[in-house]
Amino acid sequence: MSMKLPKQTPATALSRFALALSLAIGCTTAAEAAEKVLRIGMTAGDIPRTLGQPDQGYEGNRFTGITLYDSLTQWDLSSGDKASVLIPGLAESWSVDPADQTKWIFKLRPDVTFHDGSPFNADAVVWNVDKVLNKDAPQYDPSQIGVTASRMPTLRSARKVDELTVELTTSEPDSFLPYNLTNLFMASPSHWQAKADALPASVADPAARSQQAWAAFAADSSGTGPFKQARFVPRERLEIVANTDYWDAKRRPQIDRVVLLPLPEASARTAALMSGQVDWIEAPAPDSIDAIKARGYKLYSNLQPHLWPWQFSLLPESPFHDKQVRQAANLCVNREELKALLSGQMEPATGVVEPGDPWRGNPSFQVRYDVAAGQKLMQAAGYSASKPAKVKVQTSASGSGQMQPLPMNEYIQQNLRDCYFDVEFDVLEWNTLYSSWRLGAKDPAAHGADATNVSAAVMDPFFAMIRFVSSKALPPVSNNWGYYIDEKTDALVEKARTTFDEQARNEALGELHANIVDEAPFLFVAHDVGPRALSAKIGNVVQPRSWFIDIATMTLD
Amino acid sequence: MTAATFTDTRGRTPVVRSRGHGANVLRRLLRNPVAMIAATIILLLVLMAIFAPWLMPADPYATSMLKRLKPIGTEGLPLGSDELGRDLLSRLMLGGRLSLFMGIAPVVMAFIIGGGIGILAGYAGGWLNTAIMRCIDVLYAFPSVLLAIALSGALGAGITNALVSLTVVFIPQIARIAESVTTQVRRSDYVDAARASGASSLLIIRKHVLGNVIGPIFVYATSLISVSMILASGLSFLGLGVKPPQPEWGLMLNTLRTAIYTQPWVAALPGLMIFITSVSFNMLADGLRSAMEVKQ
Amino acid sequence: MIGYLLRRLGYALPIMLGVSFLCFMLVYLAPGDPLVSILPADASAELQKQMMQLYGFDRPLIEQFVRWLWRALQGDLGHSIATSRPVVDEVFKAVGNTLMIAVLATLIGFTLGALFGFVAGYFRNSWGDRLASFVSVIGVSLPNYWLGMVLVIVFSAQLMWLPATGAGPGGSGSWTWDWEHVQYLILPALTMSFIPMGIVARTVRALVADILSQEFVVGLRARGLGEWGVFKHVVKNCAPTALAVMGLQLGYLLGGSILIETVFSWPGTGFLLNQAIFQRDLPLLQGTILVLALFFVALNLLVDVLQTIFDPRIERG
Repeated sequence: MSMKLPKQTPATALSRFALALSLAIGCTTAAEAAEKVLRIGMTAGDIPRTLGQPDQGYEGNRFTGITLYDSLTQWDLSSGDKASVLIPGLAESWSVDPADQTKWIFKLRPDVTFHDGSPFNADAVVWNVDKVLNKDAPQYDPSQIGVTASRMPTLRSARKVDELTVELTTSEPDSFLPYNLTNLFMASPSHWQAKADALPASVADPAARSQQAWAAFAADSSGTGPFKQARFVPRERLEIVANTDYWDAKRRPQIDRVVLLPLPEASARTAALMSGQVDWIEAPAPDSIDAIKARGYKLYSNLQPHLWPWQFSLLPESPFHDKQVRQAANLCVNREELKALLSGQMEPATGVVEPGDPWRGNPSFQVRYDVAAGQKLMQAAGYSASKPAKVKVQTSASGSGQMQPLPMNEYIQQNLRDCYFDVEFDVLEWNTLYSSWRLGAKDPAAHGADATNVSAAVMDPFFAMIRFVSSKALPPVSNNWGYYIDEKTDALVEKARTTFDEQARNEALGELHANIVDEAPFLFVAHDVGPRALSAKIGNVVQPRSWFIDIATMTLD
Repeated sequence: MTAATFTDTRGRTPVVRSRGHGANVLRRLLRNPVAMIAATIILLLVLMAIFAPWLMPADPYATSMLKRLKPIGTEGLPLGSDELGRDLLSRLMLGGRLSLFMGIAPVVMAFIIGGGIGILAGYAGGWLNTAIMRCIDVLYAFPSVLLAIALSGALGAGITNALVSLTVVFIPQIARIAESVTTQVRRSDYVDAARASGASSLLIIRKHVLGNVIGPIFVYATSLISVSMILASGLSFLGLGVKPPQPEWGLMLNTLRTAIYTQPWVAALPGLMIFITSVSFNMLADGLRSAMEVKQ
Repeated sequence: MIGYLLRRLGYALPIMLGVSFLCFMLVYLAPGDPLVSILPADASAELQKQMMQLYGFDRPLIEQFVRWLWRALQGDLGHSIATSRPVVDEVFKAVGNTLMIAVLATLIGFTLGALFGFVAGYFRNSWGDRLASFVSVIGVSLPNYWLGMVLVIVFSAQLMWLPATGAGPGGSGSWTWDWEHVQYLILPALTMSFIPMGIVARTVRALVADILSQEFVVGLRARGLGEWGVFKHVVKNCAPTALAVMGLQLGYLLGGSILIETVFSWPGTGFLLNQAIFQRDLPLLQGTILVLALFFVALNLLVDVLQTIFDPRIERG
């Protein structure tokens, strides 16, 4: 006897459909439960480039640099209590040639492979140096040299010594090279070559071939990092997945997939977090922090190698030409109250780096809030309430690292009034301000300003100090905007640059830093603390004293 | 934002006005309660903006960390305070200056320039008309928001640049109306008659063309004011308009938006001001349109 | 008719040429460095000069324009400076995304606008008219980016009903028409529909009132035509203009979506434009503006032509 199937009615069809649907939903939720996905809202307006040399500043390096790639040297991100120091990355060790201090030997880590399976070796290092420094190399890419070359100003070339040894050459003896190399990420040469070979023959121009091969590489990249690129929707999202074969067993990711979303708008970022669309946002707006905390999110922040200063013009016509005036300004800013203005999202600056940093040194001038002392210095310099020092300061309404420029500046303006300063602002568009920074205080672009308010990343010795105070860094070469020229400083710079022993170099840098604080070419105001709001289900979060953060070691419930 | 752009200028037929028309318009306008309420609100807003420096209860630039983001009705801060502890009432009053300016000035400039171009093209006719109007058409080919943002984005932030961008956006719209009305007036019998009787071009323009053309473009321009205000506030929102610390409603809306979780009502006030002003100008424009019997 | 179409087309071509010239020149109005997105401020002057040469920015402007136009005619708008991706791909993907919300917003706006307009025009000077007129004025008087922010805070951050940002759970690359994705459309499209709603309502109100006041309608009524007949007559007569207005509104939304797309991070043309402006990515900026403006010219042309076909009474000069 055969069972007769009932005739299908619309109702049964519907229930079958519902069953199928619920099964489908059940499957997807099961799959989602199995996969640990972390979603991050970045402040960048676009996904940082994924081809190895990210754009979008250090946020780019944070999310598409150190996640997908490694560099020869890298920053130690494992501690939140001490300054982040340089540690071996793809190079296990390095040393300078004692006979010729422009030659460095880097010993590479063995048994490292790129995500595509090809080996990492000396050829790969040479190839990656050539991508930004050798115009004749097929992989030379002008779009990558901007961010890279300026961060490795002295590196000239690389040469293979043996399979796991490379020799790097600099233009002059430069003990800072290992720091610079954190900015050169190692992309897979064979993967790039495969992309280049896949291009149609009709693309004949070598420059165009390189550009298109890199565009293809960016869409499907290959590095050696703890994460691999999985899915890329231009301008919307980047999904990266754990590299389970990562060479450093301690940093094999616990999280299966990380989704990166560009959300440049602070209020949009906050809304995305509060509506549960992301688990982590960078830089929540200070005024939304209480609301975010009330929803159970955790706020992380730590001192960053960042300086929010006024960089003084030392030209004769500027009141800041007088050291007493520079020091007085430093004594008249109430940094603690300023911190309250930013809901605690800053650290008061008493120098380029703070006590505890290996480069701090022992300055004799103490940056603090002491209006009486400031007034005294101003009187000695010939100013008074009836005869204030008129100063003009360039700033911007917004910009990367500028924190909250207008509220902060307006607050400082009020503070300085107590010390006989009459401050006027010249508010520029961020890019304009940033471009005119290199042109210097004498340039018409400075509009006769006596100080410029460009905040800066101060991670390695060159970027932290030398570019601001060396007489070799005068405009238009680098950022000595205010024409600070001092023989003693120049001598200390030279000493630090040519000291290859780490301990001795730190001491030399300490001397240089102490000298900078004493001479006060800056109004030291604040350091950014890189606030970020994270869901409580993210565990093992270490916020180091760095621009970066290690996602690889985090966990997710 | 493109409230006024729906007006189909092509099918417009000018009504030839008689003397005393102005008085009629005024009488009809006075009898329209909605238009009169709108006009009163605008008058009050303008007076508030002009006399803001004397009416303001506090210094709109004085910041105070202790008084940040206070709610409406706090003692000494009737409308609360902004993210820098500045008195919001004072800033709203003073902000009205720049906001109204950014609403009215581009339209006035476009009215003069665009109206002039349009009348010239319409009256001259022939190849000059073609040449002028084709150039205008190129500008008209851009959606207004796109053109305003593209121009401001290219020129950079700032009041002057925003003013220039908005003026350029409105010139083609006004010029097209002026041209079409002038062309029809020029072709009408009584202008022919005037010409035949030996009147000079200037006299004809002054007596016949202007009298008939100013009305329609004036009505149109009135309705553009709210468009201009909202566009300008949008530019400020994107960081392409007025720069801080100048108070301006669009910019205040922009800087207060991160406070929307802590003080939503305070954060909403500049938006409310923009809205009230914009509604009033739209209502007044509607009233003017029906009073002048300009057909849409 | 054919003659008119050809004339209309022949008239659009020089405009398109003018538009492309303006698009190209627009971005050169600005002072500053075209390579700012890939060249940090601390780069040396020498490096900067070298890069200007590599990207061809050292050539005379006219040469750059002719080159650009020639390639644009072949469908190549160059490569984005910031990302090296072809501009054409980026722009057309963005146009698709913007079309989604713009079409939806136009439909919502048209439906509501027509409804309000009809009510207002039919019952002129009643309280219904006042209310409908006021609602339509709100549409054009509210800064829509701000409305969007308020909607996000209410419906996303507080109520958690709808997503706050983005184009679907997997980005626009994996769009499908199910609730999981469509919910991302609702807030941006609703916000965007306010302006077309206001404008359609005003237009329809005026049209309906105009038609109803015409003598032949009075005559129809006098001859005993029922209300339904009059209604049909009114609809038939105001449909062409209302639809034309709707078509133009779609064009405005396509080009004017920048504020709303910025608020919702919707990956359309406005979002692209905003990024291009702030990264000063010249090829991307030029390409996006060009495509949007040409779209608008083409849409205007289409609306004109359709109107002529369906309503030959309109005389064209």
